[in-house]
Amino acid sequence: MKIKLLLFLLTGCFVSCAQVKQNDIEIRPSKSSYAFETVFSNVGIPWGLAWLPDGSMLVGDKNGEITLVTKTNEITISTGFDDLYVRGQGGLLDILPHPNYENNKWIYFAYASNQGEGDGGNTKIVRAQIEENKLIRIEELYKASPNSTKGVHFGSRMVIDKQGYLYFTIGDRGNRDENPQDITRDGGKIYRIKDDGSIPDDNPFVNEAGAKTAIYSYGHRNQQGMDIHPVTQEVWTHEHGPKGGDEINITKKGANYGWPVITYGVNYSGTTITEKTQKEGMEQPLYYWTPSIAPSGMAFVTGDKYPDWKGHLLVGSLKFQYLELLKLKNNQVNERLKIAEDIGRLRTVKMGPDGYVYLGVEGKGIVKIIPN
Amino acid sequence: MSFQLATKIALFCGLFLIFNKIPALNEKPGIYVNTPKIQDQESLKESINRGEIVYNDFCIQCHLPNGKGVQGVFPPLANSDWLIKKRTESIHSVKFGLQGEITVNGIKYNNLMPPMGLLDLEIADVMNYIMNSWGNTQDKIVTVEEVKAIEN
Repeated sequence: MKIKLLLFLLTGCFVSCAQVKQNDIEIRPSKSSYAFETVFSNVGIPWGLAWLPDGSMLVGDKNGEITLVTKTNEITISTGFDDLYVRGQGGLLDILPHPNYENNKWIYFAYASNQGEGDGGNTKIVRAQIEENKLIRIEELYKASPNSTKGVHFGSRMVIDKQGYLYFTIGDRGNRDENPQDITRDGGKIYRIKDDGSIPDDNPFVNEAGAKTAIYSYGHRNQQGMDIHPVTQEVWTHEHGPKGGDEINITKKGANYGWPVITYGVNYSGTTITEKTQKEGMEQPLYYWTPSIAPSGMAFVTGDKYPDWKGHLLVGSLKFQYLELLKLKNNQVNERLKIAEDIGRLRTVKMGPDGYVYLGVEGKGIVKIIPN
Repeated sequence: MSFQLATKIALFCGLFLIFNKIPALNEKPGIYVNTPKIQDQESLKESINRGEIVYNDFCIQCHLPNGKGVQGVFPPLANSDWLIKKRTESIHSVKFGLQGEITVNGIKYNNLMPPMGLLDLEIADVMNYIMNSWGNTQDKIVTVEEVKAIEN
């Protein structure tokens, strides 16, 4: 009886004070041994990381600088983004070459832009080509509005699927009460457009009056990780919760992911946002983290360099400064491993064309993981 | 395990909860102590109020609502010897960012804080908020002129 009372009281304390997820899968250090090689260090916040078919690596710094790293050279690429808005979490964000780059030479960029009416900025998607070390033929594909001087939640991750659809994320821009649940407003959404910026006819809200027709799903907070599952071809994202409640979701057409009506998180101050963690008509996350790991960067492991990791999901942690491997079984997380402990604030995770995992680490650069 | 122990733990948890839920107890004690003139006091107060909004937008994710940061990762702002001893460097770090090793309250931090892109007024406000929150007190107001004068 006494023990039971004690356990009850302790459980109550953990739930209310420390916000620890009950019955969570414990994260364990990885037993395998890996070497970490810094392959490029001349970057502060490496957000965008991508490769061109010739093997050269494009590294984007949030401050606006882009470097093309070839076997022999580090070449600065002049962007000409006159409207770049570097404030808070905003700046030069994701970079993505077209899967058919060999033929069309398009590279997609997501950045915070102050273009348009009003003070502040919002997320913009453009495509451009590199010629003589500068970006040319810059085409605007999407610009979220309205601008806001808020420094948070620009989203920005992009993928292009096999049909040539470009998916990208825009966070709630610090306006959770107005943006995420309203499909006539930008922010707190996953978008889907064609690779030339036009809106697919079968987007979920093309027939809704006043809707932003590029929206594919809504009710998101701030998604800084996105990848396509190598087998199912589904678009996976993760998003930052507030305090607790970081989520992994599989993107479904027209679905509502619930923010801020439902969440497993609370305000930074510990006060309640909502009592609800689930509601009919709103999606449950595939997995959620409490306490938050502050996830950034996401990649499914492909190729044969890491046999134990193949098909599983890598997610960077800004807060705990490690790489998390989520082992998946039937689209569910069933094991969690900690890799690259204390590596630094992990912003970006990518599979390189050589089959190695590359990490963008703030203040450190681009780090390659080599199995021993 | 005795019932007494259980009661003690329950009491401790209860007190902990209460302490955390009353903002006045853990958020802003000690503002305006020893503030010399009423006029300055008013402008400092307004600046602190504006600074709280800036803090909650730009700083809170890493340095947390209680200003304690995360040991070894994000340095504390509450009762930070670095903040107290290095006023100019502190303003400089908000204005231009900070990278490399620093020691705060005896603990080493080696991370990167990017420049936040704040206006000089916002920097003054957030500095006044930080320097007068969580037990910190600083009666010498940070002005826009002071921020403006600090160069990279």
